[in-house]
Amino acid sequence: MVTTLRYALTGRGRENQYAVWLALAGVVVVFGPLLLGLFWAFLPAFSRSAWSDLWADPEWPLALGSTLISTILGSALALVFALLMAVQCYGGAAWSRLQRQLPLLLSVPHAAFAVGLLFLLAPSGWLMRLLAPFAGWVLPPAWVTVQDPWGLSLAFALALKECWFLLWVLAAILAEHTILQQMTIAQTMGYSRLQAWRHILLPQLLPRLAWPMLAVFAYGLSVVDMAVILGPSNPATMAVLIWHWLSDPHPLIQAKGSAATLVMGGLLLSMMVLLKWGWWACRVGPYPKGVRQQTKAKRAWHCSTPLLAISYAVLAGLLLWSMAEAWFFPAIWPEALSLRVWANTDFTPFFNSLYVASAAVLLALPITLIWLEWGPQRFNTWLYLPLIIPAMPLAAGQYAVLLKMGLANSYSSVIWSHLLWVVPYILLTLTGPYRAYDQRFMVMAQALGKGRIKACLTVKWPMLMRPIFAAMAIGFSVSIAQYLPTLFAGGGRIVTATTEAVALSAGGNRRILAAQALLQVMLPLGAFILAAGLPRWLSRHRQGLK
Amino acid sequence: MLALWLSHANAQTPWPQLESQARGQTVYFNAWGGSELSNAYIAWAAAIVQQRYGVVVRHVKITDPAEMVKRIQTEVAAGRQDDGSIDLLWLNGEIFKQLKQAHLLFGPWAEQLPNWQYIDLTKPVRQDFSIATEGFEAPWGFAQLTFMANRAVTPIPPRSAAELLQFAALNSGRVSYPKPPEFHGLTFIKQLLLELAPNPDVLQRPVNDATFQAATQPLWAYLDRLHPLLWRKGKAFPVSAAEMHRMLGDGELKLSFSFNPNEGAYLISSKQLPRTAYSFGFNQGTIGNVHFVAIPVNAPAKAGAQVFANFLISPEAQAKKADLAVWGDSSVLDQQRIAAALRALMNKKAAGALAEPVILRAEPHASWVHALEVEWLRRYGTR
Repeated sequence: MVTTLRYALTGRGRENQYAVWLALAGVVVVFGPLLLGLFWAFLPAFSRSAWSDLWADPEWPLALGSTLISTILGSALALVFALLMAVQCYGGAAWSRLQRQLPLLLSVPHAAFAVGLLFLLAPSGWLMRLLAPFAGWVLPPAWVTVQDPWGLSLAFALALKECWFLLWVLAAILAEHTILQQMTIAQTMGYSRLQAWRHILLPQLLPRLAWPMLAVFAYGLSVVDMAVILGPSNPATMAVLIWHWLSDPHPLIQAKGSAATLVMGGLLLSMMVLLKWGWWACRVGPYPKGVRQQTKAKRAWHCSTPLLAISYAVLAGLLLWSMAEAWFFPAIWPEALSLRVWANTDFTPFFNSLYVASAAVLLALPITLIWLEWGPQRFNTWLYLPLIIPAMPLAAGQYAVLLKMGLANSYSSVIWSHLLWVVPYILLTLTGPYRAYDQRFMVMAQALGKGRIKACLTVKWPMLMRPIFAAMAIGFSVSIAQYLPTLFAGGGRIVTATTEAVALSAGGNRRILAAQALLQVMLPLGAFILAAGLPRWLSRHRQGLK
Repeated sequence: MLALWLSHANAQTPWPQLESQARGQTVYFNAWGGSELSNAYIAWAAAIVQQRYGVVVRHVKITDPAEMVKRIQTEVAAGRQDDGSIDLLWLNGEIFKQLKQAHLLFGPWAEQLPNWQYIDLTKPVRQDFSIATEGFEAPWGFAQLTFMANRAVTPIPPRSAAELLQFAALNSGRVSYPKPPEFHGLTFIKQLLLELAPNPDVLQRPVNDATFQAATQPLWAYLDRLHPLLWRKGKAFPVSAAEMHRMLGDGELKLSFSFNPNEGAYLISSKQLPRTAYSFGFNQGTIGNVHFVAIPVNAPAKAGAQVFANFLISPEAQAKKADLAVWGDSSVLDQQRIAAALRALMNKKAAGALAEPVILRAEPHASWVHALEVEWLRRYGTR
């Protein structure tokens, strides 16, 4: 009896051994073939000529510069925006208002957001059109507001888009009841809101934001669609250059792309080290001296207001464009509105996306949960690699594997290829809450005679429902956003909302592009609304989970 | 000649047999998907071919033709000799050169198509950027660089390289071109090269260091003077021609250009350009080329692909394609050999389309493209 109980508590029973194998099997199916793929993808980089070509490339140093500016500034600003909003709003009515809006803000795909932002900020954009009557402009001003050579507008766009992702992660962490209690205690003891954040919340939150921050950074480094739309063009950012090189038919140029990809990975590694240092520095700040600062009178101005305003203007711009007839500078409003474009919209990509993303999430969730519970966690860092390596060589590697197995060009291969990104993202968002879970609940359940699987199914996972649903929604939107893997694994034959939008962006009719972008918004939006609403409904009978 | 044709045809599968082989096949047609016009036209042609010949055509919309080369290369390297993922592709110039040189194309087949008899052989349909096609690709359409402007702000457009430089000086910051290697941007550079090269004849032969130096020197001198006058002083460029159309509509630019002489008419009718927009060409002519369809060596549905290609060059399909209300892409057929009713469709006029005759100038040899691209990027790619 004692032995059984000890096995149950330490997780060494036979049942657990099977589970460990199962956890490994799931992960191996998703990641295993990739090792071969990576081998094929990086093989060309191991030649001296690839590196000397890269060294001699005149575009490379400038591209590296604008990429570093846009990525570092963008990620830092995103963190600042998210923290400012959390500090100002957490615990109040504004916080829940903000959280209700998060699904919409998160679900806007990057490409669609960039197109909308371009229309807002461009010299011929909405802002300038509003100013035109006062400035007396007949033609758009010759200002550099977007696509600047330093990548500042790209940084701004990344910050605006990613701050909602970080806020979403923050909200998931802050939703744990211990944190609210700590906040209440600190305020009861007379500390101001800012002091409570500085000394109690930030030291806890920042380490848990490290992985999401790194994902934001990796995304900024390797983003292609936003960079094409808002980034510098002469030369383009590093990711766009690599994308061109890797898709070049010439093997020497492909090799240069492989080498550049390795540099990108190196940049990420150094960022990882920097983050670790930075976070550590945050934790060793001075102890509160006991001085109670006064909580200032509530400010009328929230920093979330302008951020929200821009985001909604972007959406409004897309909606308006999808219905606009003639609409030239300096007109503030289209000449006429019509549903002409919507009447001819093709919905096939929309349904294909829905199918692929649902299947990917439904496969990825059990794989991730079993891994988190039974898998050897020391390998987690390896599983995050797909978030760090740009999609291009990975997708090409996957394609080579699929070809050798004769499985390319089918829905199942597209779904499998998406898992490579969906699983790590779900893992990334779940790991924090999973680790923070109070293990005593499990001990109690197992002591009461439940097996570990049963304890997970009836106690642990239901208690973690909120972060699980959040992770599912993120996984879904990650699948929706995949471009290159869909193109490769699907043999270019499986058309999703994203491939359609990117194909259309090579053309020029903003109306059709706006319509497809809005369709692309609707899919993840639905997922996030479900993720926010379902746990509330499912846990309506569980007092502690409300 | 006839005997030669017959002996050639006999070497191949007879056409009726090919048609019966094609029935039930699915043809994956990889074609640029960036234009609503060509997309809608391909969907129309696919529907007819399915109805008449039982061939299912799926349009795979691609953005960058270079991706197709990589895909075919990867597939053949991976041992997929006859079950590749592309059955037919839309291409010309550099892509054709690469695929043909690497023996990645099926053929010859194009000149055995029954509808080959209608092709206008006085057009450059057997030369693709000075490379002989040898029946490895079938001509599909005909494109010519065409400039566009807005009469409300530009009543008199520039009609030569020299006038363009003056125009740019008077309208500082309102002229630009897509950044090479973008297709339209590179074509614009080639257009300038044709006018500025001391001896344009060398452009029709494979490039070498000496001819490149001599032919391009005036071009770089010209661009050095032009770039400071461009939009954003030539430090940034529009992404595509489509982006330039939008900028022309908003007045950010005063010139745009297209490879479809009828695009202006479509852009006006779909409210993407104001009604005052118009098209024009250069006095000494503009660059033009033929675009083709080809079958990869590892295409599974080769019969179906040939049946579809044969339909694409039929008088019926070519007339529909040339119709301004449909696509407005010029026909590759000899107008004398087709019915008068179809001829009328091909010669419709609409406001905004190119209304004046513009001399056609041949593309330089395909080998110049890469050399120009590399040198342009070296000189201006990082400013």
